[in-house]
Amino acid sequence: MHDKLAIQLQSQILEEIAKTRAKGVLIDISVLEMVDSFIGRMLSGMASMAAIMDTSVVIVGMQPAVAITLVELGLEMPGVDTALNMEKGMEMLERRLNTRKQDFQ
Amino acid sequence: MSEILNVQNAKERIDRIEDILASVAAGDMDARIQSDIEDDFSGIEAAIDLLINDLTEELRQREKMQKELENKLSKIQEQQKTILQQQEDLLELSSPVSKVWDNILILPVIGTLDSQRTQVMMENLLQKIVDTGCTISILDITGVPTVDTQVANHLFKTVTAARLLGAECIISGISPAIAQTIVHLGIDLSSIRTKATLQDAMIFAMKQNRRADEIRTLSNLAMPNDNVD
Repeated sequence: MHDKLAIQLQSQILEEIAKTRAKGVLIDISVLEMVDSFIGRMLSGMASMAAIMDTSVVIVGMQPAVAITLVELGLEMPGVDTALNMEKGMEMLERRLNTRKQDFQ
Repeated sequence: MSEILNVQNAKERIDRIEDILASVAAGDMDARIQSDIEDDFSGIEAAIDLLINDLTEELRQREKMQKELENKLSKIQEQQKTILQQQEDLLELSSPVSKVWDNILILPVIGTLDSQRTQVMMENLLQKIVDTGCTISILDITGVPTVDTQVANHLFKTVTAARLLGAECIISGISPAIAQTIVHLGIDLSSIRTKATLQDAMIFAMKQNRRADEIRTLSNLAMPNDNVD
């Protein structure tokens, strides 16, 4: 993934969130075979931005090599939810949205 | 008064000595003068023969030792090849990851850990987590007496990487020596979950499973399919 593409993706996702007023976003990175520090920061940045827009973000499908790289780069993404696969990711989002519902009740 | 030397066939015998010495120099180990004549010259001839004896004996010994050394060398090279092969095999066999229960993986580690082995273990475990979708894994190091700072770092990285994937990695069976190394490294302990024994780790893991199931059921109850608006 090129840097420019990454930045594009970031703004695209945020705009989609705003447009659809999405309450949750699942980011599937299973095709990402390796990352560098830029992508790593972009991923955690995206999660933070979405959180500010009151949207839950769950990253799924991370590959072992990517996880190892992120750890070695010191980009542990605290506060970013991750799940092993789509199914678990959806479960996690549903739980988050559930607690959200309580905000509005 | 000068003595008169009694030497028979002087010219012949001098030629013979030269021939024999030349043969020995050329490599003939068996060339000897072996004169039958007994006179003032035979002393030298006998002495030369003895000298040749000693020399050829030395040479034979040296050849023998050379051959022995070469044999030993090739034996050692064979053994080295075997050791390398066994090391590879050991690396592959040494740390199998098994799914012991619903959603729970176990990686029992036995023996000394070096940096390379730990790296392989780490990649193996993370891949297994992704392949099986198990969110709980137990890294049991009861069988590991000590670790160096590199290995301790790898272990910490494994736990952190597992969390990034969306799973949890519990370390069980930490010895006092290893506990000291971890603290000396200044590793943030709040981020590693540890249990004293494999048993404790299993009990904890199964409780987690049950808790997760309960949450899932509650979640489904609280949110029946009415979110289509």
